[in-house]
Amino acid sequence: MLSTLIWLPVFGAAVIGFLPGNFASARFRWGAIAISGFLLLWTLWLFTQFDLATSEMQMREFVAWIPTLGINYSLGLDGLSLPLIALTNLLTLLVAFSSEHLTPQAQVLKRPRLFYALLLLINAGMAGALLAQNLLLFFFFYELELIPFYLMIVIWGSAKREYAGMKFLIYTATSGVLILAAFLAIGWLTGSANFEYSAIQTAELSQRVQLILLTLVVIGFGIKIPLVPLHTWLPDAYVEASTPTAILLGGVLSKLGTYGLARFGVGLFPETWSLVTPGLSVVAAVCLMYGALAAIAQKDIKRMVAYSSIGHMGYVLLGMAALTPLSMVGSVSQMVSHGLILALLFYLVGVIEVKVGTRELDVLNGLLNAIRGLPMTSALLILAGMASAGIPGMMGFVAEFLVFQGSFTTFPIPTLLGVIGSGLTAVYFVILLNRTCFGKLDNKTAYYPRVTLSEHLPALALTALVFWLGIQPTWLVRWSESTTTALVSAAPVERQIVLSQATAITAPVLD
Amino acid sequence: MNMPISTKIPPSNHPFAEVIHRLEAGGAMLPDTPENLMQIIGLYKAYAVPMDFYWRDLLYIGEQVFLNPLPFFKFFISNEYLQRENHYAGDNADLRIWRGRGTVHPELEEFIKQGELKKGLPRLFHHLWHDRINMEFAEECMRAMLWHRNMYAPVNQFDPYLDSDEYKQNADRAIRAYFKGNPLMLALHNTFPEMFLEQCREASYYANLGLFWEVMAPVFFEISDLYDEGKIASVPDAMNFLVNGIFAIAGRPIYHHVYIRGECYEIIPKSKGFTWLYEAALPYVEAVFYRTSPFRGTKSYNAQAGQVPDDQKDFHYGVLYADKFPVGTAGIPPTLLAQDMLHFLPQYLVDYYQQHCRGEDDMLIQLAISFQRSMYCVTSAVIQALRAALLYPLDDPNPKHLMANRKFFESQMDRFLRPEARLRDIQSPIYR
Repeated sequence: MLSTLIWLPVFGAAVIGFLPGNFASARFRWGAIAISGFLLLWTLWLFTQFDLATSEMQMREFVAWIPTLGINYSLGLDGLSLPLIALTNLLTLLVAFSSEHLTPQAQVLKRPRLFYALLLLINAGMAGALLAQNLLLFFFFYELELIPFYLMIVIWGSAKREYAGMKFLIYTATSGVLILAAFLAIGWLTGSANFEYSAIQTAELSQRVQLILLTLVVIGFGIKIPLVPLHTWLPDAYVEASTPTAILLGGVLSKLGTYGLARFGVGLFPETWSLVTPGLSVVAAVCLMYGALAAIAQKDIKRMVAYSSIGHMGYVLLGMAALTPLSMVGSVSQMVSHGLILALLFYLVGVIEVKVGTRELDVLNGLLNAIRGLPMTSALLILAGMASAGIPGMMGFVAEFLVFQGSFTTFPIPTLLGVIGSGLTAVYFVILLNRTCFGKLDNKTAYYPRVTLSEHLPALALTALVFWLGIQPTWLVRWSESTTTALVSAAPVERQIVLSQATAITAPVLD
Repeated sequence: MNMPISTKIPPSNHPFAEVIHRLEAGGAMLPDTPENLMQIIGLYKAYAVPMDFYWRDLLYIGEQVFLNPLPFFKFFISNEYLQRENHYAGDNADLRIWRGRGTVHPELEEFIKQGELKKGLPRLFHHLWHDRINMEFAEECMRAMLWHRNMYAPVNQFDPYLDSDEYKQNADRAIRAYFKGNPLMLALHNTFPEMFLEQCREASYYANLGLFWEVMAPVFFEISDLYDEGKIASVPDAMNFLVNGIFAIAGRPIYHHVYIRGECYEIIPKSKGFTWLYEAALPYVEAVFYRTSPFRGTKSYNAQAGQVPDDQKDFHYGVLYADKFPVGTAGIPPTLLAQDMLHFLPQYLVDYYQQHCRGEDDMLIQLAISFQRSMYCVTSAVIQALRAALLYPLDDPNPKHLMANRKFFESQMDRFLRPEARLRDIQSPIYR
């Protein structure tokens, strides 16, 4: 069942890749839409088959691959990976549907065959990494993502794409090296016969060794998320990449970092993790504040959204650092929420760029104009900004509130900084909206083409989802509750006692 | 009548020198291109149909509705006014100057019956759905004239007359007759004598604008017919037709009669000798084309921050300055006018707009900009008419006279040096 998620897109990529190049671009597009649409339906079906009661891996698949080296084709699904699989497939479908719309009018999407083949490969790599239950298999898919993403940036990017692509490659390859080193060391030092996730017992390692290994894992995945100060590749890559690539980078790829941290940081080193969480909570607060403040200073709306991404990934880390059942659920929710809202923001910014021809904050103006502006796009941008700033009624609020609620008792100051960062999000979105949507349309330049219904469709779908999961958050959090609770309960017992005592002491006071 | 640019005086150094030279050669502010001609003539036609309703209803309100404190049905014009014969067109005209018919235009008649919905719903539903001629625009023009009083003084005698004792007496008589048997209103009138008097002045402006547009509607119908027949082939042709029209009708009396219970009260009698050109046309152009008021569109004006001039004379919000891009925003007067005109666009303009910008989606703005062009042509006609009335012919052999004409044109163009003026924009076909 799970293999379909990996092999169908690989098969699709191969078919599209080997079709004659003189086929109309629409055929490649519809091929990619058909495959990614089917994958999304398949994922929805997985939701119906998913057992909410257990925290165990479900729907396991195991094929021995190279047993002597301990590498096996071992897949499994739990509450951590399922929402992310759904997110990946949704955004892949969205990108397949809208890539041509998001290409500037003057040029068509060049090399469509390669583009759609790479898109499906990315989807396959993501699914593989999220489903892999073998450390080296995970690493294989994790590294596999690099190649299509690098090509996507350097082929379809804007002016400084080579620089941005190379920077992205160097950073993420470094991330890969660190992860590989950590995984090999984990396998060899624990003396397990293979690299199966479920078979690894790190408890027998000394705390110093665990700390070193965890540091490697945190830095490795920290580059991918990215965490400040490992983030400098992000603004370049997000901004220079074309809009479809940026949606995938921000909505999908960055989730591999946080997923890896939860799976291999929290999951493999529960005790050592709780040792380093005070430090991680500070890093999370720095990410939050840095992302928000840097976004305020930007003049390019895409760059603004890129920096906002750094800030919002801080919430994920904060929730993981706090390691309470609530904050962990919040963390997973924030991964999904960040993916959807960031994709929506990048999409709308992309539409504006295509129609208006600029992303400069100082040039854009009056796009809410009812007839000559982009009223629907502007209205959705306002909603997306509100969602990102955590306005109640939308899913951004649910995720952030869960994180804050769960982490306040453990890390009050970083949480408060997070609340301030959330307020600053509102600041830069007000700046963005005020300059782009409000004001007076310039008579000299405002002859923009209209946005068609099919160009609105992806944004409308994402907005509907953001609203629905904001009003019915149980559809967002129910999938991951068992898994995250199990992750948290693996944390050392003393810590849990301290926590329960803390709540026991504060409870009467609150009464 | 494209005359060569005069060589008797040196070229102008004005920023709008090109436009001034064109005016001196007998042209208009709007460049003479077939595209411009098509746009302005098409708009004259589209404007004339609702205008045929505007003037009838304005006279109906000024003469019949008058001081009704709850004028819910002031836009539900009586059949008598709808079928009223134009004084200057039609077979029964007092003085037939224009060749069109005197009664209501057939397109208008059909629209009033069926509206845009083409459903025979009761009129009230069409009204509430705004499926009607939007008199709000006409009232906005009337209010602009009332609000910017004292324009063109001292030649404009209409305005000072509204403050004269004679007017007050006439008005008082009409007010008392209108509220006869209504002690509440009469008591109010006795307590606040200025209140109904000011309402009466407004009614006088209803009549003034109604009488002005009674003349303009057949002018625009005829210019459109002539264009269809190929008799108007250039922008200067169109402008000269308007100039000749202005002179032909300049002496038309402007008055205000009120009919109360079948009796006529002459608040402003014809015998005062107020005329169309000085008491209606020129104040209208000044109030509506140049000044108007900062109504709310998508831009709101902050008077406390100095965004609205202190002196009404400095207002420049009229059609010659207006930003047409917010057209389409509900409720603002240009949108209401644009909607009225949209119903009556000639087919050639509908096809033309389909090919540009967003086609059907932004036709309101495209036609509003064509309307702006056509009003630049009307303003050119007014400027040329004033030049002809006050100064010298364009082919005058005396260089001093030509210089006087030049100074006049330059002073008129100075009014378009303001950054928001659209004179620069309309020089290019890209502005649409």
